[in-house]
Amino acid sequence: MAAAEKIASGEIERAFAFIGAGGHHAGRNFFGGYCCFNDVAIAIAHLRDTSGVRRFAILDTDAHHGDGTRDILQNDPDVLHVCICGTNYVSPDGTKVDVPAPRVGRDTDEAYLKIAEAAFSGRVRAFRPDLAIWYFGFDGHQGDYGDMGLSLRCFVGLADLMVRMAKEASGGKLLTVLGGGSRTDLATMLIPEVIRHLGKE
Amino acid sequence: MAKVGIFYHESFSRRSYLTVGRRLADFPAALDELLQDERFQLHTSPVVSDDLILKVHTQGLIEEVDQDAL
Repeated sequence: MAAAEKIASGEIERAFAFIGAGGHHAGRNFFGGYCCFNDVAIAIAHLRDTSGVRRFAILDTDAHHGDGTRDILQNDPDVLHVCICGTNYVSPDGTKVDVPAPRVGRDTDEAYLKIAEAAFSGRVRAFRPDLAIWYFGFDGHQGDYGDMGLSLRCFVGLADLMVRMAKEASGGKLLTVLGGGSRTDLATMLIPEVIRHLGKE
Repeated sequence: MAKVGIFYHESFSRRSYLTVGRRLADFPAALDELLQDERFQLHTSPVVSDDLILKVHTQGLIEEVDQDAL
């Protein structure tokens, strides 16, 4: 909440929010998958009550579907929710989108980045959100519990993509929220590099 | 120059509901080099009130989370 507030007030342009428990599997009246409360949905509700920030575009690159976020925001036309996961879906109004992640292959990082860019870029430019949100899980990294064959190159590429999209579509405003991922060594290696890329011009 | 706020609380490193073990055990120390750069600022995440949670979730969910063994 504090990160979202400071972006909305203009004090900062971008933020990275660590978490104690996950968020995107927590729906209005259910929780699970290591998630308790839906941090992103709560931040959206809070900003609408306390600021002029109304429209949001979320890219969810956690390894698993953001079912809780979808449950809470599914009827909200002012939220674009693009989830790269295991399903293929586009809502009738085009604001809720699931895109299958690539199969593990020779260059999964490149394939994933292409899918993310194709799924999110055009939609977020057209949607013109007040704030872009990246739900960043590293559970899809090689050797973690959602192993999708990804490496650091993919995650910093996603950070670069989100910075670029935020500049083009949301006045530079970007909130990154940590999602899944279990290994201490991966967290220590990946997170500072992702944040470093969030600070790029 | 874009300012990036980093929001963290020490409890995130002590215990992780998400994982077996402490995935953020090396934080915030792992951010020391990054924080030498004035673009990056470390903030302490405040506690979120039940009133804020209730903007999205039901009272029943809050009670279930409170009772969860994890």
